[in-house]
Amino acid sequence: MIGVLRAAAALYRGHLLALLRSRTAAYFTLLLPLLFLFIFGFVFGRIAPGNFDRLMPSLFTITIVSGSLFSVSIRMVTERETGVLRRYRLAPVSALSIVLAHGMMAFTTMAASVLVQAVVARLVFGFGIHGSALALAEVVALGGFSLVPFGLVVGSVASDTKVAPMMTNMLMFPLMFLSGSAIPFALLPEWMQRLARLVPTTYMVESLQAVIVRGLGPLEVGEPVLLLLVTGFIGVAMNAMVFRWEGTERVRWRNVLLATMVLALIYVVAFYTEPGLHIGQGFD
Amino acid sequence: MIVAVEGLERRYGAVRALKGIDLALEPGGITGLLGPNGAGKTTLVETLEGLREPTAGRVRVLGLDPIRDGKKLRLRVGAQLQSTSIPPDLTCAEVLGIHASFYPRGRARPVAEVLERVALTPKARALVRTLSGGQRQRLALAMAILHGPELLLLDEPTTGLDPTARRGLHDLVRRLRDDGCTVLLTTHYIEEAEQLCDRVVVLREGGIVADGSPFELLQRAGGSSTLWIACSGPFDPAPLIAAGAAPQGVDGAHHRFVTRDPAAAVVALGDMLRGQGLTLTDLRMKRPTLEDVYLELVGPEPVEAGDA
Repeated sequence: MIGVLRAAAALYRGHLLALLRSRTAAYFTLLLPLLFLFIFGFVFGRIAPGNFDRLMPSLFTITIVSGSLFSVSIRMVTERETGVLRRYRLAPVSALSIVLAHGMMAFTTMAASVLVQAVVARLVFGFGIHGSALALAEVVALGGFSLVPFGLVVGSVASDTKVAPMMTNMLMFPLMFLSGSAIPFALLPEWMQRLARLVPTTYMVESLQAVIVRGLGPLEVGEPVLLLLVTGFIGVAMNAMVFRWEGTERVRWRNVLLATMVLALIYVVAFYTEPGLHIGQGFD
Repeated sequence: MIVAVEGLERRYGAVRALKGIDLALEPGGITGLLGPNGAGKTTLVETLEGLREPTAGRVRVLGLDPIRDGKKLRLRVGAQLQSTSIPPDLTCAEVLGIHASFYPRGRARPVAEVLERVALTPKARALVRTLSGGQRQRLALAMAILHGPELLLLDEPTTGLDPTARRGLHDLVRRLRDDGCTVLLTTHYIEEAEQLCDRVVVLREGGIVADGSPFELLQRAGGSSTLWIACSGPFDPAPLIAAGAAPQGVDGAHHRFVTRDPAAAVVALGDMLRGQGLTLTDLRMKRPTLEDVYLELVGPEPVEAGDA
């Protein structure tokens, strides 16, 4: 296991160095999240003045979603497509190291984006947290943990660098629009508020809101946090079932389907048990 | 036995890429797999690497099964793929550092030492994207020898390199052999097989058609030699013809003969000169090259359907 981690750490360092040497990556990691922040701040801030802190859970959720899903799948597909993975395979490195390194990388860029957003939001818009910063960090980490595995799954399943962003978009749109992240939850019609219980991002917004607005500790949030955790674990298991070293290996769609069904089942249960959500409340 | 392959077959759908290969490699030496494109060289090497599963037959590398014992084998075998892609935004030293982390601690040699070995020390901090083709191949070789492998599998290590870069790589491979590493490489350069390899295995359409040292292959194939003879005056070629040399006409002052037994022809020539009171003014001989032998074995390049 130590060997697996050592290899993952070395691969992770390599990803990080390559990212720091490329300008487009810096753009997607830092500039784009800031652009989002300003659009949110000026547009929605105007609709609901004095409610800036209430907007931040939605904004963070968008950043976590895109940061967890987007570049990781492209990086993985590129490595497979260009034969980097095939070359790695000739050495005694385990697939776990490779997936882990990509996961840590996605997590890092996501966390960096959120951090930049939070700092700039504080300086420009006076964003403040009612709970502790640590609690916020924990919930952001949890959000990343729940979604990064699915970015990795796309990286293993997608056939090339054109398909990967398409698949990511297909994942991202329901995650953003069905939850209260792209549009404030309170503005969604009631049927959509119900449907929102079927996607993990709703619980992400809820958890973030709990620590930012209501000042709860992450463990006090309850079911939403639990759901994110379970989602992440299923995603991790899914990765073990779908990883591919080479594009010539068959995609194990049956495993993808199986894991998706388990996940769907959990969210259907959540849908019917209706864990109490606070994100619809409090907009004056 | 370093490599033991018996009755190896590999099919891709209806295509039989390997048709019952038997191959044994003793420790040491450089063995070249020579053959045209599509002969099955890469399939054979990648089967030994454990990247491809055999359809039938038995494969043992260092006594291990490349599929089942893949992890164990990879600690002892070094390999270079035909088209190696190396992350372009990392430096040579970083790439080797990452590869070193794949092996148990202490197993991989220090990066600086390996870079020195492949003459890339000045490029240690250069990004991979800035390397020339030859430097990239040397880096790929460095990745393959990082852990001091007992067997080195190189798939077309010199394809696309200029003659100088190719010579440099040959020297490197020879030095590895001299250090006791067994090398198996594929090539479609005949001169490479002749200059570099201690043993040449010629593949054609998924089967082995010849196997031996370059010298042995030349002997065994017994191609025809050409003799050009120029004498002080006209001569009667009967003794030469009796010795198996066939007259082929005249090139200026030279009479041309073709023979499968040049030694007998030269002896007969001496007798002829003495018997007819002539002196030899010039003698030239062209022995069959490995290329002639190879073309005889492999046949003309097949014209693929749809190529026009």
